[in-house]
Amino acid sequence: MVSHFKKVLTSSIVKKQLMGVTGLLLCGFLLSHMLGNCLMYLGPEAFNTYAYTLTSNKLIYVAEAGLLAIFFTHLGLAIRLTIENNIARPVKYYMKQNSGRGSNFASSTMPYTGLIVLIFIVLHLINFKYGPYYTQAYNNVEMRDLYRVMIEHFASPLNVLWYIFAVLSLGIHVSHGFWSAFQSIGFNHPKYNCILKCTSKAFAIFITLGFSAMPIYCFLQGGH
Amino acid sequence: MTVKKINGNVPQGDIKNIWEDHKFKSKLVNPSNKRKYNVIVVGTGLAGASAAATLAELGYHIKSFCIQDSPRRAHSIAAQGGINAAKNYPNDGDSIWRLFYDTVKGGDYRSREANVYRLASVANNIIDQAAAQGVPFARDYGGYLANRSFGGAQVSRTFYARGQTGQQLLLGAYSSLMKEVSKGKIELFTRREMIDLVLVNGKTRGIIVRNIITGEIERYAADAVLLCTGGYGNTYYLSTNAMASNASAAFRAYKKGAYFANPCFTQIHPTCIPVHGENQSKLTLMSESLRNDGRVWVPEAKGDKRPPNEIPDEERDYYLERIYPSFGNLVPRDVASRNAKNQIDAGKGVGVTGVAVYLDFRDAIKRDGVDTIKAKYGNLFDMYERITDENPYQVPMKIYPAVHYTMGGLWVDYNLMSNVPGLFVLGEANFSDHGANRLGASALMQGLADGYFVIPYTLGNYLATDKTHLDSVTTDQKEFEEAESIATEKIQTLLNINGSRTVDDFHKELGHIMWEHVGMSRNESGLKTAIEEIKKLRAEFWKDVKVTGMNENINLELEKANRVADFLELGELMARDALERKESAGGHFREESQTEENEAKRDDDNFCHVAAWEFNGVDTDPIRNIEELSFTNVALTQRSYK
Amino acid sequence: MRNNTVSMNLNLKIWRQKDGKDKGFIEDYRLDGVSPDMSFLEMLDMLNETLIREGKDPVAFDHDCREGICGMCSLMINGQSHGPEAETTTCQLHMRKFKNGDTIVIEPFRAKAFPVLKDLIVDRSAFDEIIAAGGYVSVNTGNAQDANTLPISKINAELSMDAAACIGCGACVASCKNASAMLFVSAKVSQLSLLPQGQIEAEARVQSMVNKMDELGFGNCTNEAECEASCPKGIDISNIARMNREYLTASVKSQE
Repeated sequence: MVSHFKKVLTSSIVKKQLMGVTGLLLCGFLLSHMLGNCLMYLGPEAFNTYAYTLTSNKLIYVAEAGLLAIFFTHLGLAIRLTIENNIARPVKYYMKQNSGRGSNFASSTMPYTGLIVLIFIVLHLINFKYGPYYTQAYNNVEMRDLYRVMIEHFASPLNVLWYIFAVLSLGIHVSHGFWSAFQSIGFNHPKYNCILKCTSKAFAIFITLGFSAMPIYCFLQGGH
Repeated sequence: MTVKKINGNVPQGDIKNIWEDHKFKSKLVNPSNKRKYNVIVVGTGLAGASAAATLAELGYHIKSFCIQDSPRRAHSIAAQGGINAAKNYPNDGDSIWRLFYDTVKGGDYRSREANVYRLASVANNIIDQAAAQGVPFARDYGGYLANRSFGGAQVSRTFYARGQTGQQLLLGAYSSLMKEVSKGKIELFTRREMIDLVLVNGKTRGIIVRNIITGEIERYAADAVLLCTGGYGNTYYLSTNAMASNASAAFRAYKKGAYFANPCFTQIHPTCIPVHGENQSKLTLMSESLRNDGRVWVPEAKGDKRPPNEIPDEERDYYLERIYPSFGNLVPRDVASRNAKNQIDAGKGVGVTGVAVYLDFRDAIKRDGVDTIKAKYGNLFDMYERITDENPYQVPMKIYPAVHYTMGGLWVDYNLMSNVPGLFVLGEANFSDHGANRLGASALMQGLADGYFVIPYTLGNYLATDKTHLDSVTTDQKEFEEAESIATEKIQTLLNINGSRTVDDFHKELGHIMWEHVGMSRNESGLKTAIEEIKKLRAEFWKDVKVTGMNENINLELEKANRVADFLELGELMARDALERKESAGGHFREESQTEENEAKRDDDNFCHVAAWEFNGVDTDPIRNIEELSFTNVALTQRSYK
Repeated sequence: MRNNTVSMNLNLKIWRQKDGKDKGFIEDYRLDGVSPDMSFLEMLDMLNETLIREGKDPVAFDHDCREGICGMCSLMINGQSHGPEAETTTCQLHMRKFKNGDTIVIEPFRAKAFPVLKDLIVDRSAFDEIIAAGGYVSVNTGNAQDANTLPISKINAELSMDAAACIGCGACVASCKNASAMLFVSAKVSQLSLLPQGQIEAEARVQSMVNKMDELGFGNCTNEAECEASCPKGIDISNIARMNREYLTASVKSQE
C-alpha cells in the first residue's frame, strides 16, 4: 500500500501533475494578490487597512503555511525534475536546435524564468514583508504603513525596472505553465484546446500588466 | 544423383475437409510436455512473430531471432494495401471457395491446391485475431469493418488499416510476441543473423548465428527450427525489399539439403517510383490501388520529350486500355509490368532516364474533383512528391515496375516442413501458396495463416511423432563445432581478400544481370548468358571484394558481403530454374512461350509441377526434383484479361 | 521542373565512435558530387563507398526499409531528429532540402536509455521493454470472436489508428530536451485504450508501461511538444494528455 503510493508519487507523470496543480494554485494566489494590491489605487488608507485585515486574522498563518507548502512542492519538484532530466541525457548534443514547430520561448525557458521568479520572491519578501516597519493609524487603529514602504521602494527606477523584468519573467513562465498544467492533468480536447491556450496567454498578460502597473504608478506617485 | 519425384504429403479426401481431418489425426503434445521442447524461430515478420507468439502461448519454449534492433521492424511492416479474407461482410458473393479459386487461378496454376484451400479457410480467423489484438482496421460509420476491392478482385474482401496494413498487422503480432517475452516463454535475440543450419543425424537441431554487435558466432540448439526469413527479391539489388532483407538463412538451409522450389517465380510490381540514378539504393512501391483511378500512358511518338501536359490526347497511347479493353488499367501485376517494359523497349519511355511510363490522374481529378482524389490517395501523392519533387495533382506520376515479392522459396510439404526433418518454413520464405504469381493483399494473409493457424498443429504433430528430442543435443557437439568453424573461416576469408571493389559494387552488377536477363521477360539465350556472367562475377567476388574493418565489432560491410556471397549463388539458381521452365506462368514470362496476342502461355503437359532444386556443390549443377501438381477442384484454364 | 544537373558539395561533421565504451568525437568529411535527388541515406552510402575505397572504416548507421515505415533509421541532422522536414524520416529526407556548400552535422540519437553502439547506431531496445511491460492485449491465438461483434465508432477507430501509426523510431526521445519517452508510450496506451478490446487491461497497462519507462531512465515530460513536432508520423501530444489522465485515475482506482 505504502509502496504503491510511493511509486505513484514518484512516477514521472504524477510528479508533473503535482507540479501542474501547485502551479495552478500559485496562479490563484497571484490573481488574488494582484487584485488585492489594486486597492493601492484607492490610496494609502484602503491599502493599509486591507493589509492589516489580512495579517491580523489568525488564519493567515494557516494560509501562509499552505502557500509555503505549495510553493516548496513546486520548487522542490522543479529542482528534482530538472536534475532527472539532465541525467536522462548524459552526453549532450554537439548541435541541437528546436524544430520551430513545437517548443516556444516560454516553454523552453521554464527553469530560467522560474529561477528569476524565485530570486524575485526572496527579494520581494525582504523588501516588503520583512522591510522597513512604519506605522500609521486609521480610526485609532495602529497598523503597518505598507503603502509608504511601497512608494519609497519604487522611487528608485532600478527597483521599478527589476520588478517589471521579474514580473515579465513570471508572465512568460505562467503563459506556458497554465496550459501545461492542464495537459499534465490530462485535459486536452480539440474543442477546448484553443480556448485553453488563449486563456493561458490572456491570464499571463493580465498578470504581467496588472503587476507591472503598480510600480509604475508608485514611481509616478513617488515625486509627490 | 537422380531426379526425385517428391510428394507434398497432402492428405487424401475432399479438399474442404482435409485440413480438419488432418488436424484431428495429428498427434498432440501433452500440455505439460510442451515446455520441454525448444523451438527456434528465425525472423520476426508476420510469419515469424505470429508463429513464435502462438507456439509460446501453447507452452513451447521459443528462441526468437531477428536481424534488426527490434522484432517490430521486419519488412512485413512495409505492406500497404491490405489483407484478404472471405468474410463476405459486403454481401457481394464472396466465399472461402471463391478466395481459394481466385488464388489458385491468380497463381496461374502453379501452387498446391490443398495449401491454398487451407489458406482461404483460415483467413477469416486472422481478421478476428488481429481485431482482438487491437489492430485498428478501417471501420464504416456503424463501427463495422470496412472492405475494399483490391488488385482487380471482383469482390471487396480486403481489410485495411489506412495505407499501413502490414505495419498494423505486424505490430499486432509483435505485441503478442512481446507479451510472451514478458512471461519468459520467448527468449528474444535481436541483431543476430543466422549464418548456418545445424543437422544432427539428418534432423534439424540448431542454428549458428552471428551477433551483429560483437561479431561473436553463437550456437543454439533446438528440437525444431522455423525459418520465417522472407523472400529473396534483393538478389536484384534494387527492389522494394528492405536493405537487410536477404536470402542467406534460406540459402544456407538449401546448402544443407533443403530443396529450393521455383526460384524463378518472382513478382514485379507495376507501380513503383522509377530509378533516379546510379546511387539509388532501393525502390519505393506505391499501392496498386492507384490504378483504380490513374490512367497509364506513353507518348505515341518515340522519344517525345515534351512535358506530359503539352501532349494532346490524340498523341497519347493509353496502351493498357487499348490492348485490354475490358480490364484496362486494372490488369494483373505481371501483365501491367510486362506491358510497361514493352513500351520502354519500343523507345517510348518518359522522364529524364526514359525508363518510366505515366500514371495520369488528370481525368480522375476532372471527374471526381481534387478533394475526392486527395481523400483516396493523399498519402501516396504526398509520398510521391516527397521523393520526386513533382506534384502528381498537376503533373502525371512517373512509374516503373520493380521487384517486389518472390513466390518461390524453400520447398515445404503440406505441414510446412521442408524435406529436411524438423526444418519448417513459413511465409514468403516458403513457396507453397502463391504459385507463379501472388494476388494483391495475399502476402499478409499467408504469413499470418502459417504462423497463427497452421504451424501450431503441424509442428505439434512432428514433435509428438519424432522422438529425437530425447537424445539430448548440446551445442558442444561436433556438428555445431563444424558449422561454426566453417562460418568463421568464411568470414575470415572475406575479410582477408582485401580486393578493390566494394560489396555494393558487386551487388549492383549482379542486380543488372538479373534485371536484364531474369527480369520481366526471359529467353533462353539471355538466361544462359546470365548464368555465365553470374559465375564469372562470383569468381571475381571471391578474388576482389573489399571488406573493411574486423569481425569483432559492428561491421555492416561484412554483413553485406556475407549476404551478397549467397545472392551470387542464388541468382544463378534463379536463372537456371527460369531456363529449365520452358513455359510462361504468372510472373515468369518466357518469350518462347507466348500466345499470338503476346500473352503468357502455360505448358501444362510438361510443366504442371514444382521444380524443387537440390544442392549439389557450389560449382556443380543442382538437381531439379519434381513435385507434380494436380488440379482437381479448379479447372486449368488459360488466363485472359482481354 | 526541377534542375537535375546540379550537384552539391557538402561538408559533413559526423559523430564517430568505435563502440559502446569509446568516447567518440566529431570528424569532418568533404563530399562532392551529391545529387539533389538522392535520399539522405544514399548520400551517406556514397560517403561510405568513398571511405571503403580509401581503406577506411565506413560510417555505421541504422537503416532498413528506406521508405519511412520500419523506424530503423535515426540520426540527428543539424540538431534535429530526422532532419528539418516535418513528418519525414531520415530515409525519406532528400538532399534537395540542402544547399550546395552546406555544413551538415550528423549525430546519433542521444539518451541515457539509448546507448550508442557504434558511430550513429544506438540501442533502442528500451522501447521493446516498455511494450513487453504491457503494450498488448492479452489475447491468445484462437480466442478471438468474429471481428464484427465488437463495433468500434469510426472516430475512435481513426484516433486509435492515428496513435498506432507510431514507428518506434525514437525521434521523440531524441528531440525532447529531457529525453522523455512520453509520446512513444502514450501512443501505444492510447491506441489500445481507445478500443474496447484494449479496455479490459487498460488500468494495469498504463501503470506498468509508465513504471517501466521511468525505470529505464527516460526523462520527464515538460509539455514542449518537440516530440510531436519531430514525429515522422505526426503523432499528437493529446495522446500524452490521455495517458496522464489514465495513469492518474488508474493509480487511484485500480485494485491491483
